Amino acid sequence: MVQTKVDFEKIKNVRETPLEEFYTSGHRTCQGCESALVMRDFAKAAGSRTIATGATGCMYVANTSYQTTPWIIPWMHTQLGAGGASAVGMAAGLRALMRKGKIPKEKINVINFSGDLGGGDMGLSGISGALQTDLDLLIILYDNESAANTDIQATGLTTYGAQTTFTPPGSKKRIMHRRWKKNVAAMLAVGHPTCRYVATASATFPALDFLNKTRKALAIGGPTFIHTFDPCPKGWDYHPGYSRELGELGIKSGIFPLYEIVDGKISYTYDPRKRGRIPVREYLEKQGRFAHFIDEDFDYIQKRVDEMWDEWELPGVAPFKSGLELVESAK
Amino acid sequence: MKVAKEVKEKKEVWEREELLTGCQAVSHAVRLADVDVIAAYPIRPYTEVMDMLSRLIADGELDAEYLIADSEHSQFEIVKHASSVGARAFGGSSGTGWMYGMEALVVTATDRLPTLFLVGNRALDDPGAFGVEHNDAMSVRDFGWLLSWSTTAQEALEHVLIMYRVAEDKRVLMPAALAMDGAFLTHSQHIVKLPTQEAVKKFLPPYDLGGRRLHPDNPVSIAPQVNEDWVIELRRQNWEAARRAKGVIEEAYQEFNAVFGPRYENPWFTEFETDDADVVLIGLGTVAMPARTAVRRLRQQGEKVGYVNLRWFRPFPSQELRDCLGRFKAVGIIDRDFAHGSPDSGGILCHDIRSCLYPLEKRPHVFNIITGLGGRDVSIEECIKMYNIGLDAAAGKVKDELVTWIGLRE
Amino acid sequence: MIKRLEINYRGIFQKNLGKYIGSDIVLIASSEGKVAFSNGRYSDAPERNGIPCKYFAFVSPDLSEEELEAECGAKMDIDEADVSVVLDDSMSKGVEPWGWHGIRPINEKVREKGCMLVVSERKHAELVKFFAKKPYDYRLATLKGAASLAGLWVFKDDLTRERVLGAIAAVDPGIISIEAVEKYLLKKTGDQKRAKAAREAYDATLRNIERVTPKDGIDWPHKIPVLPKWHEFQEGGVVVPAVKRGFKMGPRGQNRNEMFKRGTSKTERPVVRFDLCIKCTLCWLDCPDECFDPTDDGLYDIHYEFCTGCHKCAQVCPVPECIVMVDEMKFDNEKSPWEMHAKDPKAYVKWAEDKKGKERVFYPQVTGTGREIREGETVPAKVAK
Repeated sequence: MVQTKVDFEKIKNVRETPLEEFYTSGHRTCQGCESALVMRDFAKAAGSRTIATGATGCMYVANTSYQTTPWIIPWMHTQLGAGGASAVGMAAGLRALMRKGKIPKEKINVINFSGDLGGGDMGLSGISGALQTDLDLLIILYDNESAANTDIQATGLTTYGAQTTFTPPGSKKRIMHRRWKKNVAAMLAVGHPTCRYVATASATFPALDFLNKTRKALAIGGPTFIHTFDPCPKGWDYHPGYSRELGELGIKSGIFPLYEIVDGKISYTYDPRKRGRIPVREYLEKQGRFAHFIDEDFDYIQKRVDEMWDEWELPGVAPFKSGLELVESAK
Repeated sequence: MKVAKEVKEKKEVWEREELLTGCQAVSHAVRLADVDVIAAYPIRPYTEVMDMLSRLIADGELDAEYLIADSEHSQFEIVKHASSVGARAFGGSSGTGWMYGMEALVVTATDRLPTLFLVGNRALDDPGAFGVEHNDAMSVRDFGWLLSWSTTAQEALEHVLIMYRVAEDKRVLMPAALAMDGAFLTHSQHIVKLPTQEAVKKFLPPYDLGGRRLHPDNPVSIAPQVNEDWVIELRRQNWEAARRAKGVIEEAYQEFNAVFGPRYENPWFTEFETDDADVVLIGLGTVAMPARTAVRRLRQQGEKVGYVNLRWFRPFPSQELRDCLGRFKAVGIIDRDFAHGSPDSGGILCHDIRSCLYPLEKRPHVFNIITGLGGRDVSIEECIKMYNIGLDAAAGKVKDELVTWIGLRE
Repeated sequence: MIKRLEINYRGIFQKNLGKYIGSDIVLIASSEGKVAFSNGRYSDAPERNGIPCKYFAFVSPDLSEEELEAECGAKMDIDEADVSVVLDDSMSKGVEPWGWHGIRPINEKVREKGCMLVVSERKHAELVKFFAKKPYDYRLATLKGAASLAGLWVFKDDLTRERVLGAIAAVDPGIISIEAVEKYLLKKTGDQKRAKAAREAYDATLRNIERVTPKDGIDWPHKIPVLPKWHEFQEGGVVVPAVKRGFKMGPRGQNRNEMFKRGTSKTERPVVRFDLCIKCTLCWLDCPDECFDPTDDGLYDIHYEFCTGCHKCAQVCPVPECIVMVDEMKFDNEKSPWEMHAKDPKAYVKWAEDKKGKERVFYPQVTGTGREIREGETVPAKVAK
């Protein structure tokens, strides 16, 4: 199955990575913050003819704290649930102004980034609206599996069982967070058939993958969406130096599927069915937020992840189980 | 003081006449203002402005991006961000829809973006009700908005232009809400004179956000996180802008009159038969019509009464109202809104007016009428009742209670 | 009479520790019949890994709670400190908790005759050489030990908490007395070893308090920004100019946010053996703080003023001993390491190895589960002929 060929400037190897930064040092993110790397990477990939909005969240408050900024590209704050609407407003505004000759015509990248809540909970409505338009825009959901900016609370994207300030393991209830992580990227792909590009990515694994996915999304035309997997040393409780390793483990365990959907065709960036899956325990036990786990908990997660890859009709992507057959017309 | 007269001079600025509802008049004004981005979302009774705009676009009369939003919050955010890139943007809502997007309305003001919204005044939920009530539009009064009421479709059309002019002025840069009574203005049809595009262009300059425009040629970071080191200074900046807006409003009306003929003597309010009045009522919106008719009838009986139709609510014309209302023996404030549990249980307009009259050495007697909530009719007879309260007060018979509810079943 | 105490700690890594010590002080002082309260600083929220933070405790033997709160509560920072605890000695080099704050001396708030109490394995002179000169005498005491770093969910129960309480009692018994500390710990935990640890720390600290004079320390080299008045900065939605676009190869070649450098977040900094580097780009590629400056010879310089010491580069580097994290206290400047290497590669290797020493500190994945010290590998210099 061949994917649509998208014409974009691909970065072929690490030594060809553009050196200039469009998001630079001097931000108040945690040591080892992968979401900060996502910011750096999308800005680098998009380049100078870009405008971006950031919804309230870690990447807002930690980056532009106290009236300073690490942004080199023009950037504006938007409300927590307004990510999609902000992208639509910017893109529509630019398109109208260019069409009416009020500003010069050129390709300007319009990007919004939203966190767990802005991208997966509160902001879903606006993002859905955005993905239905025909405007050129990119929405990035940077997923650190918590409401991190408010000091780590559970969200719809938090891994089952994780400790957060809303879901502490107590003497009577060990697992307070019983929700399974929402499958946002796939949900949006399924729900918006005219949206040409939906992908998941991580800032560090494989190298250059997210940079290139950003470029592809910006080149393909129309509204696009990327969901990044961002290990968070503060919320997940691990030593910041290991951010890259954890991202890799999360992906190799199959917990975070890495794929690209272009015009409806799925291609796996990392296919655990071909390259193997490591046990989820190897990933989970390295994080303090699972320090209260017992075998039962690891097993539960393992079971669900096995299901994702062994039983789903679209493995890792959509929870439709195999065995779906067209019902023959009534005899 | 006379009601603003329709002047026959300056024929060339008017293109044609059309029978339009209040909403539709606004649609045409938005077309004439060459708005670039419109975000729509349906809610009675303002929706028709968006219906008409979509038709104007579909028929090629207006070139604008028209987005149908997924919610009012998204709708208002689309308008705000379109404005941030330098596009003139328009939105609107009513009642509970306006409240749904309240977060966006607050930040649009603190982001100092000059967007324009039509508020088709509607009662707040719960329970659901469509009739006119002013609480929706009034809810933004503290945040740094321009807020004015129109009483006729013609006035509404002209105020779209005036409000864009004021809002986009570099000394102001505040969002603007044009309020109109649900049903009674949004849906009633009038013959409206539409200005020519040339005349509008003469009055309304293009929208220029200058150094705050979000564009790759202008690298800025807009609204970074701030904390205790910055907030109070920012508030002060916005407070000053609201104060400066008064002067800009005066200028804008002068410019408007220069292009379109002397249509507005006084930007802030219109006075009807107040020259020698003892008692006046003051209110916002279409309640002016039964009130003015009541004035005519009472005058025939020799009573010295008048009516002040307030136009601008924010910025509030404190000094102008002090000068005007200070002349009377009694002032009745009509609130088509509620403020449960407020000082002396008065309505919102009552509090603002009472407060601005406080510095006067000689104050008129002030009484408050709460009426017409949720679209309840306000009749001429009821207005006469209101005047009688004032006339009694002027004669020394003062009611104990500040507030009188008129028009409900009791 | 009011006793004011501030606890300087590393954000998140010592968040619980700071809070526990602050809370303990309130409970212990209360048990002595004093009035006390404690609070974290709201403006430091959200706290981030490594960023310098403060927790406060206020004690009074004679004021009412209301009066104490009126004097000390509802404030963003402390006016002056009778005791300034520093839980990670690398903060001695200065702290910059937020933008437009500038890098401030760690001893900024300690009052005359007050006491700095630093958890450190270093001698006093090694700490004082980073302190700012003050116009009066104050005291310095050290509590021997490495910084106790944990995380949000897993707390490192290594008795630092108990020892700090004992040390505070030593430097200022007006805040809490050692007897009250012991009694409190025993009552609360029933664990004799905790009370003992406090007592031992108390005894050790008593012998350890030294006077610091106006001659000691340095003239503070960092500028404190002046915040503009309300009419002196651009109006309209809070607009700040973006960092100016600018990039060229070489040290400091990338334009950065000069208003908030954040280098004071680090406990350790990466030392690079440029001679071993295979130019894989991964350190530069994976740095979330954009601290690496690519050089014309294919190497990557580090702008230490912006490095937050996260360890990612050290972890990602595929060459053993090429990037090693070294205690921040061993450095007294932010000079470009690549420039040193380019000038004299052999001397640079010697300098690097000298800084690295023989020990390598390893942190297990989960913070708060202790650290391991191993012997480092010796890799001879690979200097180009």
